[in-house]
Amino acid sequence: MDKEQVTLTIDGKTVTVPKGMVAVDAAKTVDIDIPVFCYHEKLGPFGCCRMCLVEVEKMPKLATACTLNVSQDMVIKTDTPKVKKGRNGVLEFTLLNHPLDCPVCDKGGECPLQDNTFEHGPDLTRMEYNRAHHDKATPLSPVITIDRERCIACQRCTRYSDIIEKDTALVMLNRGFHNEVGTFNNEPYDTRFSGNVVDICPVGALTNTQYRFKSRNWDLKNAESLCAHCACNCNIVIGTRQNRFMRVQAKSSENSVSNDFVDDGWICDKGRFGYQFLESKNRILDPRENGIGDSRAGVIETAKKVAASFKKIAEEHGPDSVGFLGSPFGTNEELYLYQKLFRLGLGTNNIDHKLYADSPGLPVDHYDMEDVESADLVLTIASDPTEELPILDLRLKKAVSSLGTKLAVLSDQQTLMDCFACHSLRYNVGSDGTVLQSLTDGLGKKGFKKNKGFETETGIESDAFKELIASLKKSTKVCVIYNPEKLTGDSVHILKSFLTALDKNSEGTCGAIPAAPATNALGAMDMGVLPDYYPGGIPVSNAAKIRELWGDSAPVTEGASASELIQKAESGELKALWIYRCNPLVDFPGGAKLEQALKKLDLLVVHDMLETETTRIAKVVLPSNGPGYDEGTTTNIGGRVQFRKRGIVTQNPADWKILGAMLKELDIESDYRDSFEVTSEIASTVPGYSEVNRKNLRKFGHQREKVSNPKVPESKGSSEKAPDKNALRLRVSNYLFAHDKILDASSSLAHHFQTSSIYIHEDDAKSLGLSSGAEVTIKSDWGEIKAEVQVNNRCNPGGALVPYISDEQGVASLLNPDGGPTWVTFKN
Amino acid sequence: MKLFLTHNIDTKDLHSIKVYKKQGGYGSLEKAFAKKPDEIVQMVKDSGLRGRGGAGFPTGLKWSFLAKDVFPRYLACNADESEPGTCKDRVLLQKNPHLLIEGMILCAYACQIETAYIYLRGEFYDLAEIMDKALEEAYEAGYLGANILGSGMNLEMYTHLGAGAYICGEESALLNSLEGMRGEPRLKPPFPAVEGLYGKPTVVNNVETLCAVVPIMNEGPEAYAAVGTEKSKGTKLVSVSGHVKKPGNYEIPMGLPTRDLIYDLAGGIRDDNELKAWIPGGSSVPMLPASLVDTPYDYEAIAAAGSMLGSGALIVMDHTTNVVEEALRLAGFYMHESCGKCTPCREGTRWLHQILSDIHLKKGKESNIALLEDICDNMSFKCFCPLGDAAVAPVISSIQNFREDYEELLNLAKAGTAS
Repeated sequence: MDKEQVTLTIDGKTVTVPKGMVAVDAAKTVDIDIPVFCYHEKLGPFGCCRMCLVEVEKMPKLATACTLNVSQDMVIKTDTPKVKKGRNGVLEFTLLNHPLDCPVCDKGGECPLQDNTFEHGPDLTRMEYNRAHHDKATPLSPVITIDRERCIACQRCTRYSDIIEKDTALVMLNRGFHNEVGTFNNEPYDTRFSGNVVDICPVGALTNTQYRFKSRNWDLKNAESLCAHCACNCNIVIGTRQNRFMRVQAKSSENSVSNDFVDDGWICDKGRFGYQFLESKNRILDPRENGIGDSRAGVIETAKKVAASFKKIAEEHGPDSVGFLGSPFGTNEELYLYQKLFRLGLGTNNIDHKLYADSPGLPVDHYDMEDVESADLVLTIASDPTEELPILDLRLKKAVSSLGTKLAVLSDQQTLMDCFACHSLRYNVGSDGTVLQSLTDGLGKKGFKKNKGFETETGIESDAFKELIASLKKSTKVCVIYNPEKLTGDSVHILKSFLTALDKNSEGTCGAIPAAPATNALGAMDMGVLPDYYPGGIPVSNAAKIRELWGDSAPVTEGASASELIQKAESGELKALWIYRCNPLVDFPGGAKLEQALKKLDLLVVHDMLETETTRIAKVVLPSNGPGYDEGTTTNIGGRVQFRKRGIVTQNPADWKILGAMLKELDIESDYRDSFEVTSEIASTVPGYSEVNRKNLRKFGHQREKVSNPKVPESKGSSEKAPDKNALRLRVSNYLFAHDKILDASSSLAHHFQTSSIYIHEDDAKSLGLSSGAEVTIKSDWGEIKAEVQVNNRCNPGGALVPYISDEQGVASLLNPDGGPTWVTFKN
Repeated sequence: MKLFLTHNIDTKDLHSIKVYKKQGGYGSLEKAFAKKPDEIVQMVKDSGLRGRGGAGFPTGLKWSFLAKDVFPRYLACNADESEPGTCKDRVLLQKNPHLLIEGMILCAYACQIETAYIYLRGEFYDLAEIMDKALEEAYEAGYLGANILGSGMNLEMYTHLGAGAYICGEESALLNSLEGMRGEPRLKPPFPAVEGLYGKPTVVNNVETLCAVVPIMNEGPEAYAAVGTEKSKGTKLVSVSGHVKKPGNYEIPMGLPTRDLIYDLAGGIRDDNELKAWIPGGSSVPMLPASLVDTPYDYEAIAAAGSMLGSGALIVMDHTTNVVEEALRLAGFYMHESCGKCTPCREGTRWLHQILSDIHLKKGKESNIALLEDICDNMSFKCFCPLGDAAVAPVISSIQNFREDYEELLNLAKAGTAS
């Protein structure tokens, strides 16, 4: 639907734009810059700063261009004496009580107030009275400091808090000359997205506490890069000075142009403030052999030596005696080369990167993040955007509150999105398979009938479920967002049948976003870091296709999955394991047994950027540069492939270089001169990535073609009863600011760290005799951890929610290593 | 003189429904319900009634601007009477609350509204009690609630107390405040008639305006229009304050010479002093010199004289006054009441006050007058809402009409007689 176009004149230039566009934006299209403070394209018109005065023919008064909707034949003038006098006057008022401490202001040099004053303002002040004084540095939170003297009350920040964050945490207090930005009761402004106000503040009032007085911004080197904290892959600008990290900003209209396909110009606080790990003492900088010390040979030489050792073991014990445990944190190039090394160099499909069941590809369209805005119904399944993919949280709120999108939340836990949802259904922990099967059936001919058995098993009321099915059927565009990591058993396969059924039975179009939270979770699947799929979703069973693309030596039998690799290490079948950017000792179930299994290996190599529990027991440790230092592409949840530029220069070789050397060592041709050459190879060998090239990666990245997967594996289904009546089924949920290797104790986000808790339903609390605040030991068949009970009904009776709040918490030690259900009991 | 609003205002216990009904109260409803809503709107148009809150916009026209077929609609009665010098709504609320309720029912019927609010300024807590009591009586008598007098019309009516902010008398700030948000004006368009309270079409009318609908209904639009001038119809309740012998509220036919208002009704200037200056319509309008005292008191004539009828608050100053003092007092008021949303008003009102304080304390400089004029020019029509323009009016008009008062203080400053 094209909006009606209108033609008007601005300063004699003819402009044709959609009707109703504000004059500021219309002027921009013909490179006429109308100065603004309060107007921000993502916040909409407000009109309080009065900076953007323009003259409009047939209007007696000057108009504010940011609130002026253009209409046909309008004649706007931005350069008349009347306009000049008006703007000059407004700037004099704006500066009247501004401290003019530009020499010591962080904003200096990139300050709209400076720029507008330079261009439109008075050169002298007529103000002869003392300027207003406030404290120069008031902390709004541990990461944001406000200098109220500099504030020009444009209300961008408070409107951001209201319109974008949707929680009005930041507000204007008091009245008139005394108004100021603050919070109710002076509570800290410490939301998940608070840092964006620093970017949008048009003066130096809201400052980044870490960056205060660290650098003049013209001394910064700015690199447009990607955030690597989650799978949104938000666009950021990394500012460095003398090769040291200074700050992270969102890439937005303030410094460049926002990538609306991904982040809409916003980033979360973890992305902005959580970068201390880049300069952490825990960084691995040199290769080493544990017990022997740092290797003098250098990274490349050491890597080549280890690759040769792997080759030797594979030759001696067969290719399946070696294995690769990757991670969804590497770039596509790194992951691609690793699978190539193991498949072609060592001849094994013992490659994996995850513990949950899923297969590459979707039976329906793969939607980009932006599609959330044009969908009329978004259904989230087992996904918790706020904690897992925060920018998706903002996107959903925007879609729901201003674009008419309806939200349906289907989950086993209460999330912060529930209050924006029109359908909010909570199923019993572990009943997702039944729910998804009933949803699939309900969409089909069978339909869904009120059903006591269903209600008991899932905890969902039949009527509410029926309404959801009806909504799904009649919507014109449905976007399903699911987190495969939080589906139990193999119900992700049922989910894909559901998507097929939805595509068939809904009146409109539909698509899905697989929303696993790890940085390059989708890329890892696409790059075939899987025991049963080659890159681009080609199953190992498709020998013909594999031979065509990868040559005759490519292995075509299914390899061992991540958990099987551990089992094989324990049984002795696996002799050598290569672990890349993964810390199984903390993240995998198994606890002490797991450590013993890994210690049995003849050769354990860990290639990582930070020291972990696992690097401590590895035989050889290799340094990986990681985000900030590395370059390469990642694929976000929307299938958008973007290029991650480095912010800082390091002497250590890039991972692709290390991998190139190892491939060469194993006689595989590899003369990559830069990461783009690996990207080109991906484009030529990975279906779906053929259009991924340097040109397409510029600016907004490129949405790779959907990995099609018509055949969905059958679900084996599982429904398990509690072993004893006092046992609850465990569900580990995510917490954005978990205290892990990335957000360590030195992090400026440490104020967000939480203590170990367990959330249970009041019914269970009653029958178990537990109450909020009780300190308990949670026990499973595999381990135990300590936690404080919170009775808050965030899950249905029978479930126990434990948020992952730190590595030390040890929650993975509770989990069932088979991937089956985990039942927990309590000990006071 | 024909009076429409205050002819029986001094009747004992008029605020009780019993006495009010004895006086013919609520009699207009039956007549109204016999007509179609649109006919009532037409009657109000025909009467020539204009908004008595300050802007003087034709009331019937305002009602007809409501977005078509969008429901629910709301009525908000603006009882945030805060303009310095204005106290005319107070007397209606205090003494004749049922007249307002009756007027609001008529408006609600004409505009198909089922929810109405009376937004009272925070300081009117005593009047809120009176209004609440009256509402209770009206509900009991079946004039409010479901199916009023069997007409099928439903109307719920509530009082709402503000928190003491002049800006909330501006209609969109009033709506913000009513919704529980900061009392700051909203962007227009959309106007309240299209997107008002909770984003729905809303009528915002002043107390006096709504009260005037009752006599229009009872006596017919012709009878109302017969009083007044060609374009300013009916009567106006004027609050006369300042240096007069009998300050108070007077209902006058539109077009009465201001001289009659000051010298006859208000008893003339105190101590029989000489009239120096008068502000015709509350603090927001330019002041006029004594020479214009024969100006008829109606919208057009006052506008032609260079001011505005505003809310109908006549402030009288005698020859003992130095108008700089008046300008300073009002500048202080606007500085205090500026909501701070837009830059020119927030900063300008304070700066004006700083300069006027200096002049008043005989510490001013000759260049101050030109500076004041330029600040006023930089504020005029460049602020977000009319409050900024209002703040300028007393300053600029006092300089224009009484420059000698400024010069006198500046000369004293030059002579070094700072006090």
